[in-house]
Amino acid sequence: MTTLYRPISDPLEFDTFGCHPFENDPATPDRTTRQVFLRRQVSDWNVNMKDGSQLQFWGFKDPDISGSDSPWPSKTIRVKQGQIFHCEFKPSKGAHTIHWHGIEPTPMNDGVGHTSFEVKSSYTYQWCAHQAGTYLYHCHKNTVLHFEMGMYGVLIIDPTTTSPDRNNPQYLYDPFDPASTTEAPGITVGAPYAAESILVFDDVDPRWHKLDHNAGMCGDDVGLDKFNPTYFLINGVHNGKTQTDTRTVTKATAGRNVLVRLANASYSKLYVTLEIDAWIVEVDGRPLRSNSAKGAFGRPKLLPKGTRLEVAVAQRYALWIPKIPRGDYRITGSFHHWVTNRKHFDGEAVARITAA
Amino acid sequence: MLRRHFLKYGSVFAAVTTASLPSLLTAKTTDLSDAASDGDADFDLEIVDVDVELIDGSVVPMYAFAPVGQPPSIPGPILRVKQGDVVRIDLRNSSTRSHGFQILGQSMSAVTGLAPHDDDGEDKVRIEFVAGLPGTYFYIDGDNAPINRVLGLHGALIVEPSNGYADGKTRKKPMPYAPTVAPACLKDLFKALGEKTINGLPARFPGKAWEPGREYVWIFNQIDPVLCRRIAAGDNLSASEFLEEFHPRYFTINGLCGLDSAHDKATCPTGHVGEPALLRTMNAGLATHSPHIHGNHVFVLTQSDAYGAPVYQDNLFEHDVWLMPPMMIKDVLLPFTMPPDLPPAPWKMAQEKYPLRYPMHCHNEISQTSAGGSYPMGLVTDWHIDGPLATG
Ligand SMILES: [Cu+2]
Ligand SMILES: [Cu+2]
Repeated sequence: MTTLYRPISDPLEFDTFGCHPFENDPATPDRTTRQVFLRRQVSDWNVNMKDGSQLQFWGFKDPDISGSDSPWPSKTIRVKQGQIFHCEFKPSKGAHTIHWHGIEPTPMNDGVGHTSFEVKSSYTYQWCAHQAGTYLYHCHKNTVLHFEMGMYGVLIIDPTTTSPDRNNPQYLYDPFDPASTTEAPGITVGAPYAAESILVFDDVDPRWHKLDHNAGMCGDDVGLDKFNPTYFLINGVHNGKTQTDTRTVTKATAGRNVLVRLANASYSKLYVTLEIDAWIVEVDGRPLRSNSAKGAFGRPKLLPKGTRLEVAVAQRYALWIPKIPRGDYRITGSFHHWVTNRKHFDGEAVARITAA
Repeated sequence: MLRRHFLKYGSVFAAVTTASLPSLLTAKTTDLSDAASDGDADFDLEIVDVDVELIDGSVVPMYAFAPVGQPPSIPGPILRVKQGDVVRIDLRNSSTRSHGFQILGQSMSAVTGLAPHDDDGEDKVRIEFVAGLPGTYFYIDGDNAPINRVLGLHGALIVEPSNGYADGKTRKKPMPYAPTVAPACLKDLFKALGEKTINGLPARFPGKAWEPGREYVWIFNQIDPVLCRRIAAGDNLSASEFLEEFHPRYFTINGLCGLDSAHDKATCPTGHVGEPALLRTMNAGLATHSPHIHGNHVFVLTQSDAYGAPVYQDNLFEHDVWLMPPMMIKDVLLPFTMPPDLPPAPWKMAQEKYPLRYPMHCHNEISQTSAGGSYPMGLVTDWHIDGPLATG
């Protein structure tokens, strides 16, 4: 019988691709004057789970804010489009990185070990977001484990202008110069909003939370092919409490616009359903609009109430609800197995928008 | 002799009459303006049993397609044809099991139950059809579904347009689709590629137009070594048993994992700023993948329908993660722009050097492992920006 051999590779390269990624603390290349500066460190702590058990989590803490030692998800970062951003990152308990998910900087600032380096003790990331929208940040070291351990947070790039509509003062994105552009029909350009619901869905397999930092990296079978989540959460809130917790219930004023930002930080197929019509106005940090010179060829898409939207892992969607009528609206996330597509036991988490 | 006769003709059937074709498919494949072609495309394929060496050196038994007289591969060879070509695919089964063959969303004919051949080289079957709507298609062994397909019998059939230009008679902006049925926004994207200015404004994609052949095929799959071995040992699993017990331990792109796929020239896109590339992405397996690319977003251009035929998108979403459930095919465009989130001029990238290397990996990170660990030896590859925009 014919054997299909794998290609011949250099053992040293094999080793640095996987088992021993390059660790370093370089100076930021091509460093320039910053407009935003913040710091991140690594912390670990125990989280009380729904059934009373405790599990270890890891995350990024902000050393400039006291009491931020157990952030899950890690604290949301908001910066403005066009600002030169520096983040001084000082990991501890081994090497880590920060990948600015959806942001596209140079490889040194992209936070991926095998294409650049993992941070040993200190590095200052530099980038400048050119487009407002919804992003994430997360550790990209042994990512399969570190992402599950909680090392992620939401990153929002806000536009530089504010909306002239005093009832809906915040823009999702800057409208293009009206003289030079065609915006898409269906929504008000810039998707101005008054209230915002940011929902990050996650699932937790308790077995994984007993593994250590480098688990499996050098060829051991530590069972990272088996993921059996038993906890389902939104923004770190257990599914039993998501309909009452302030982190997952958004209060809105009836008649004003609401923006919902969705992200999937689980390892499941995630289906999200809203009890109200909404417009998909942004995907993965890119507003849906149309302008050839700017390289945009989309338009907002209606997501009728009750329609299932499947959100891929680490994908983001921004949904815009114009002039929300008075009422109480559930946003339901349903978690299904990534191979069988069977719904996980207890695999549902529901957030709410209350418009009064 | 009777048996062979049956194999040659009896098991090849034009399974569906035109009347029962879904109307959408009929409409799309009868675009007369592009249908004229005198071309022929002939392929001679063989199905064989193989042993596959995985990234960790372990070996699993699978099946593979091979062009007759050439080495087998998983996925099978890329079959490239032009719209309107008369395509003839001769198939021979040199495996120890019976197999089938079909092209999803393209030809309605299917071969099923093709028994192992008896060594005189005569017992081939033929599928013949006229290549329809330009785009990316799966050819698979649909027998025993999904077992034979997941065990290696899958590949890409690519239909190129016979007159693929986004800009009509000017013919400076090639596109991989039929312009007569392509939505305006799809043509607008290909028209914008290579333009320094549009309507007097600086444009996003200076450099080159997309060039035919500037493309990569990415076929994803998952391997369960236990089931591979059980089937090779003669265990006749039913489809439902296979689905129930399928537990993938290896996650491949073009049959490779981790370092191997990052090094594979046919898998790792390279080029300069301003050299847009088409990525034909396909998921032959049973897990839902979430491919995530660093460095540039991609435009999703086509998405396969329930029959496996491409649907040209009339609303181009720009994603850094695109959803790939089982059997999904999406053509996406990697624009090869400078990474967009750099500080603005007068800042210059001086200390950091080309090539700029970025990964593309599935973000359901379970797929980044092999045999329960070894991150990132799974469904990952790299892509490289080799140098700046060529000027002058
Ligand atoms: Cu980490
Ligand atoms: Cu990511």
